[in-house]
Amino acid sequence: MNSKTYHLREFINPADGRSIVVDTSAGLSLGPLPGLEHFMESVSPILPVADGLIASPGQSRKILGRTRQDAALLMRADWTNALRSSNFVLPPETIIHIPMFSPRDGLDLGVSALVVYFLLGHEEQIEAGCLKTTVQFAIQGDEVGIPLIVDVQPVGPRVVMRDKAIELGVSYALEAGADGIAVPWPGRNSFEMILAMSAEVPVWVKPSSLDAIPSELDEALALGGVGLWLDERLFTHPDPIGLLKTCTTRIHPALLAEQP
Amino acid sequence: MQNGLQSRMDRLFNRHGDGRAVCVAADHGYMSDVTPNVTKLRSIVSATIRGGVDGILLSPGQAMRLAPLFQGRDGPALIVRADWMNMPRLGTSNVSNSVPQRLLLHQKVLTAEQALALGATAITIYLFLGYNDRMEANGIDVCARFAAECHKVGLPCIMEPLAYGGQVTGSNIVEILTLGARTCVELGADALKIPYTGDVESFRNLCQISEIPVLVLGGARSDTERDALELFAEGQEAGGSGCLMGRNVTKSPDPQRMVAQLCSIAHKGWSVDRALRTEDWNFMRLKAHPADCTGCQLCVTACVASHGEGSFGNHLSRLRIDPGSKPGAHKVMFCTLCKKCLDVCPSQALRWHAETGAVELLVDRCTACDKCVEVCPTGVIVRSDESVQVASGQTLPWYPVVCDLCAGEPECARICPTSAIFVDERKELA
Repeated sequence: MNSKTYHLREFINPADGRSIVVDTSAGLSLGPLPGLEHFMESVSPILPVADGLIASPGQSRKILGRTRQDAALLMRADWTNALRSSNFVLPPETIIHIPMFSPRDGLDLGVSALVVYFLLGHEEQIEAGCLKTTVQFAIQGDEVGIPLIVDVQPVGPRVVMRDKAIELGVSYALEAGADGIAVPWPGRNSFEMILAMSAEVPVWVKPSSLDAIPSELDEALALGGVGLWLDERLFTHPDPIGLLKTCTTRIHPALLAEQP
Repeated sequence: MQNGLQSRMDRLFNRHGDGRAVCVAADHGYMSDVTPNVTKLRSIVSATIRGGVDGILLSPGQAMRLAPLFQGRDGPALIVRADWMNMPRLGTSNVSNSVPQRLLLHQKVLTAEQALALGATAITIYLFLGYNDRMEANGIDVCARFAAECHKVGLPCIMEPLAYGGQVTGSNIVEILTLGARTCVELGADALKIPYTGDVESFRNLCQISEIPVLVLGGARSDTERDALELFAEGQEAGGSGCLMGRNVTKSPDPQRMVAQLCSIAHKGWSVDRALRTEDWNFMRLKAHPADCTGCQLCVTACVASHGEGSFGNHLSRLRIDPGSKPGAHKVMFCTLCKKCLDVCPSQALRWHAETGAVELLVDRCTACDKCVEVCPTGVIVRSDESVQVASGQTLPWYPVVCDLCAGEPECARICPTSAIFVDERKELA
């Protein structure tokens, strides 16, 4: 095993090879979202339940005093306005994506992995930029032993076949050197294709909605997905910790059964 | 040339000591929509290695992931794709295009040092010609900088000129490719990866003006395995130094066999026919499907022409077609290796050829007694037009002309448009 594999084991439980990751980095481009207005207050209870927590570099610095039972820290390394809707306070006129922090920065912060978006369906330059960032971060990550997780986002207006676009995003991420991939649930057939393509690279599924978690998660796990990737919508749930615990029970049933 | 650059060029082009390389491009998942050859990459790459491939082109990510497959002294050379483009996804005609692209975009993604750190023996980079002036200028700038960067660290730079865009027509594509080849050489390319121009002469011209190794690329998958092999063989004949084929190998039902066939053409000098054989034969023989024979006589003409006797007319052919009254009724008469001529020869001037198993004439022993001509049941041993002086000083007025199976590559079988004549294995000499 190399450093990257060790780091992956910090948020993919080696006992069952599964993982639940919560992405709390949306504030970087979307500001204070419902449920995440007070970041540490919202995130602290999640730490003992989730396996990994994605945060922006600024918030990562605030998450101090994590114990061995707490989630590993993953750092969002890029910024985009592509996730802003047209009724956002600053609606995007031009879609922009910029890499901000390098794997070396992640190493300095002590994170277990870097996370970057892969945007599909916008102008050609955006996709090309995402690809170049992924290649560069994968290579630089390889040098310092920090894995790179690619968050596939087929959100642009040019996407005509969402499932195929997700497959394309996964293919690009793999060819560019991703060590892990998070994808929106693309449907059973596509997910099978994605798993065949990714072989030993772990794939998380991002559920279509909070209500769809049970069905999509069960299907993804049965097919060989590594686990669940929850975004800021988790915090709109009346009981985010309860929901997270329910998901954890589905993802790590054997481990929970072993606990006294 | 720097030692590093030379040793890496040797690793790629001189594994067999012949200056040729059979390489496979397996970087399609990096640029095009997802297809089966992308999803099964590891098994395909493993199969091509078993087939004896000399080099494999991969994206940076797959190069990192599949690095263990390249280990060992017999391992193939790793070629890394150092740039990226979206050409395969342009336009809306491709129904599988999930995110259509409108503008051609091409960018450098890696530095030469990064490629070297990945274990690359060489890198490839595109040069687009025919899209617009800005794209060409940008490509030239990228290629020039990359070549300089590569040479600083002793890494061979394989450039891939592509004719694509509104300025490219059917009539100027060869000219554009030739321009691209020469431009790449002027920019500092160490080798070229380029589409076949469509005919031997123009490709030979391209190779000659390049003066660096030229690898022919396969383009879209050919209709048949034979088509792909023939394209490659023509490229070799024109002076190419091998191939960097992608979909013809990675989408083949048997990539290992396909690579082995390409290798046998490149490194053993085999013909396409011989490469297509699924197993090695000790000996061969001619066979025919008379029902498929159209009576065109092309085999007869080819037989005479390929032996270059300088005679006009087909009377010296080692086979003949006895015309029937209608198609399918023609009789294809050729040497059946019945051994009667060998048995009847009083001076043992006829024997089996040790390698091909065909009838071989030892002309110094021949007495021109005519017995072999008379005994031949198919009547395909004929008298030569010319006299010949034998070792004893005697001059024979003629000698028997026998089928030599064209030294193992029968021209009649190769040329037959309906494959009515074909080669088959001869298990043992009679």
